[in-house]
Formats: sequence, C-alpha cells, structure tokens
Amino acid sequence: MMGPLTALPLTLCVLFAGMILVGVLDALAWRLLGRVPIDDDDRLTLGGLRAVIRRQSISTERPDLAAWRLAPALYFGLAAAGLALVPVAVAVGRAPVDVEAGIVVWGAVEALTVIAVFLHGWSSNALLPLMGAYRFVAIGLSIMLVSMFVLIGAALPAGSLRLTAIVESQRELWNLVRQPLGLPLFLLLGLAITLRGPLDYADAPDLAGGTSAEDNAQLRLAWQLARAAMLVAFAAMAATVFLGGPLGPVLPGPVWLALKAGLVAAVLVVLGHLLARPDASRMMTFIWVVLLPLSFLDLAIAGLEALR
Amino acid sequence: MSWADGVFWLLAAVALLTGWRVFRTDSMVRASFLLLASFIAVGAMMLMLGAAYLGFATIFMMAVEMMVMALFMVMFMMNPAGLNPMVMVHQHGLAIVAGLVTFAGLSAFALSLDLPDRPLPGGAEVIAPLGRELLGPSMLVFESAGVTLLATMLCVVILSSRSGRFGPSDLGSVPPAVDPAIEEDP
Repeated sequence: MMGPLTALPLTLCVLFAGMILVGVLDALAWRLLGRVPIDDDDRLTLGGLRAVIRRQSISTERPDLAAWRLAPALYFGLAAAGLALVPVAVAVGRAPVDVEAGIVVWGAVEALTVIAVFLHGWSSNALLPLMGAYRFVAIGLSIMLVSMFVLIGAALPAGSLRLTAIVESQRELWNLVRQPLGLPLFLLLGLAITLRGPLDYADAPDLAGGTSAEDNAQLRLAWQLARAAMLVAFAAMAATVFLGGPLGPVLPGPVWLALKAGLVAAVLVVLGHLLARPDASRMMTFIWVVLLPLSFLDLAIAGLEALR
Repeated sequence: MSWADGVFWLLAAVALLTGWRVFRTDSMVRASFLLLASFIAVGAMMLMLGAAYLGFATIFMMAVEMMVMALFMVMFMMNPAGLNPMVMVHQHGLAIVAGLVTFAGLSAFALSLDLPDRPLPGGAEVIAPLGRELLGPSMLVFESAGVTLLATMLCVVILSSRSGRFGPSDLGSVPPAVDPAIEEDP
C-alpha cells in the first residue's frame, strides 16, 4: 500500500484529470449525437463555471441545510474512495489503498452513493427533489443487487476479494470474455450511480431536474462535478474488474488502465445519450424479472468456470 | 497512548454520540442515517480489530439496511416527507427502565467476561477462515437467520402490497373522514 502522502494526491489528481475528460466526452456527445442539453449548467466549461459561481443563492422552506450542502461532498468523497481502490499496476500493494476485501469496499461505495443521492433530494424539503430521491432509491437498490452478484462472479476466478488478485486472475483471459454478461450488467449500475440516461431516475428532466431541482447554482455545480467524479471512479473499477485493469502488452500498466477506463467512460456517456428512460415502475419490473435472473446466470457461469 | 488508541476513542465517541442523537432527532430519515453513522463507526472499529471483511461488510450492509429502513418507516408511518418534525420516542417509563436494565446487563456481561487477547500476526489470512466457519460449523445459525430475515421481508411486502390473490386489498374500504360532518351523513 502507498503511504497516505502519495495515495491522496495521486487519487485526487487522477480524479480531476478524469473529470475533465468526462466533461469533454459529454460536450462531444452533445455535439455529435445532436442532443440539446437540458441545462447549460451541466456543461463543465470555464465560462459556465464563472456564471454559476456569481449567481444568486436560493433556498426552500425549512430544508435540512447540513445534509443538502454535504450531499455533494459525500458523493465526491465516495467517488474518490472508489477510485483509490483501483490497482494501477499488477502487483500486490500497487493500489493507492490496497485492502484485502477491496471489492466489498466498492460495494459499500455503491450503497452509500444511493444514500448520498437520496439525501440530496430529501434534504431540500420540496416535492420534485423528493420524488426523484424516492424513485432513485427504489431503482438504485435493485440495480445494486444485480451488480453485487456480478461482482461476486468476477471475484470467483480470482478466489479472492482483493482487487489486485482479480486483475491477476485475468492474465490469461479477461472477465469480459469469461463472463460475457458481467460488464453489460455492471454498466447499467454505472448509469444508475452516475445519474445518466436510461437509469437517471434522480435528476431526470421529467421531474425538472429531480433531486437537483431546488439546488442553487453553486450546489448544482458541486453536484455535477461529483457526478463526473463518480463516472471516473466507476470507469476505473469496471476496467479493473472486467477488462484486466493495468494488464496489457508494450505500454506500461497505468497507461493501459487509463485507456480502458477512458473507453468505459466513453461508452457510458454515449449510452446515457442514446438510450431512452422508461417509466420507473416498468424499469423496476425489468430489473427484477430480467436483469436479476441474468445476474444469477452470470454467477452460475462464473461458478461452473471456477469449479472446472 | 498510541495513535490507534486515539482513533479507537474517537470512533467510540462518534458511535455513542450519533447513537444518542438517534433518539433526540425529530425525523425518521435523520434517525436512520444517524444510526448508520453509529454503525459505520462500529464497522471502522472492527477494521481496527483486523476483521477486514466483517468491518467493511458491516458498513456496506448497514448502508443498504438503513436506507431501506428509512424508506419503510416513512411509508408505514404516513409522514410523507420525513421532514415533518415528530417525536422519536414513546412509552417513556418503559423505555427508561428497559434501557437502564439493558445497559446494566450488557455492561456487567462485558466486564465479567474473560475477553480473548490474541493479537493476530500482521498479514494473517482472516477472510477464508471466516467463510469456512460460516458455511461449516456455523451453517445452521447463519442460514436460519438468513431464511428468517427473508421470510420477514416477504411477509412485509405481501402484507403491504395493494394487489393480492383475492383482489385489491383495499376493496370496499372507506378513507378516514377528515371533516366530522361527512361522517354523520350516510
């Protein structure tokens, strides 16, 4: 494990670099896919930032101010914690925070993210944010269940919950090929916890911004930055668990990891722009009736493979 | 006092303080998340004891559990937002007696117990032995707890769902009268 003096700046620098990349990807997707942004605040441009910081601050009647202001910080902190778990090279101890139960810690990050989003919507004490919050919890907890089975499946060939061991187990064959259902199901979780496209039940335009509807400009900016940070953490985690992380020929490990994570982030951004969002109850049925059985199947495939 | 002692006492203080605030706050959602903060501090203490899996699993499970609990409490308690102020305690006399008895009992138990003192060597394997224990000698306890919990959850969902085998559960029910004048009129 790296010392805290190396791990913290490294994680934050990578996170910020990744957030810039996410902003660029989002802007590109808007331009190329011909979608008009719902709100210009969502774009991470410098001019936009200046305008946002200058804007007047508003509030609602009797909000829970502490929770409201801290929710973006919690969201961002969870993204940083998730990213810190990712091994940058193949060897034990080559992650900023290398823990024995790394994949379980990522599970805790997912679970606490649902709470951060819920608190963000609940604390403003207003109708639309509250609806977004409740809706998101229902969908978020269900899709999280799917991701848990998928992650257990990914840990099976490694015989360990340690992320470096999971990377090591993909030296011969990536989990993407060994467990073909894994990455697609995990990407859906990514769409949910980064509040994107078909699984954005928290901040969707049909609720006029959902949990962000009553945010003042500064809070909204903080929330959008945290959302980008979570996409970076998720992309790095998906690349580690399913695409072999830093494994690859010729180029050094961290470069491979960055390339793979960038690819996952691009796929998520494009999916978020292209897929339609169904009604929440319909999505709920789809998750429990189709996706959850698929995750069981994924686990069964992984189990049979591990027994062989 | 080493830094580990300092961290332990800090976590203990957080666990106790947030645990106390659970009963002093005025909203079920806040109460749930304060309880979660308390459990996270306990989970961190378990990590300090070298229980790598159990510590993180406590944090992870409690996050999901408290979220579900907050949601269900708000659903069943008819306080739609959870931000409406309400008193979180009831049956004061009984609660005080039960609390004192439990505290005294648990304290006596903890003080009289001969706690194990076997520091693990650094880098010892702890997760695999835990798995073998849970799915080996402790299988019966582990599985009965799991199945009981599952049955409870299913029952709650079945009892609270509107549609059932015999049609909508609220068929023929009348909403409570808000205006007393409506009740008198047949």
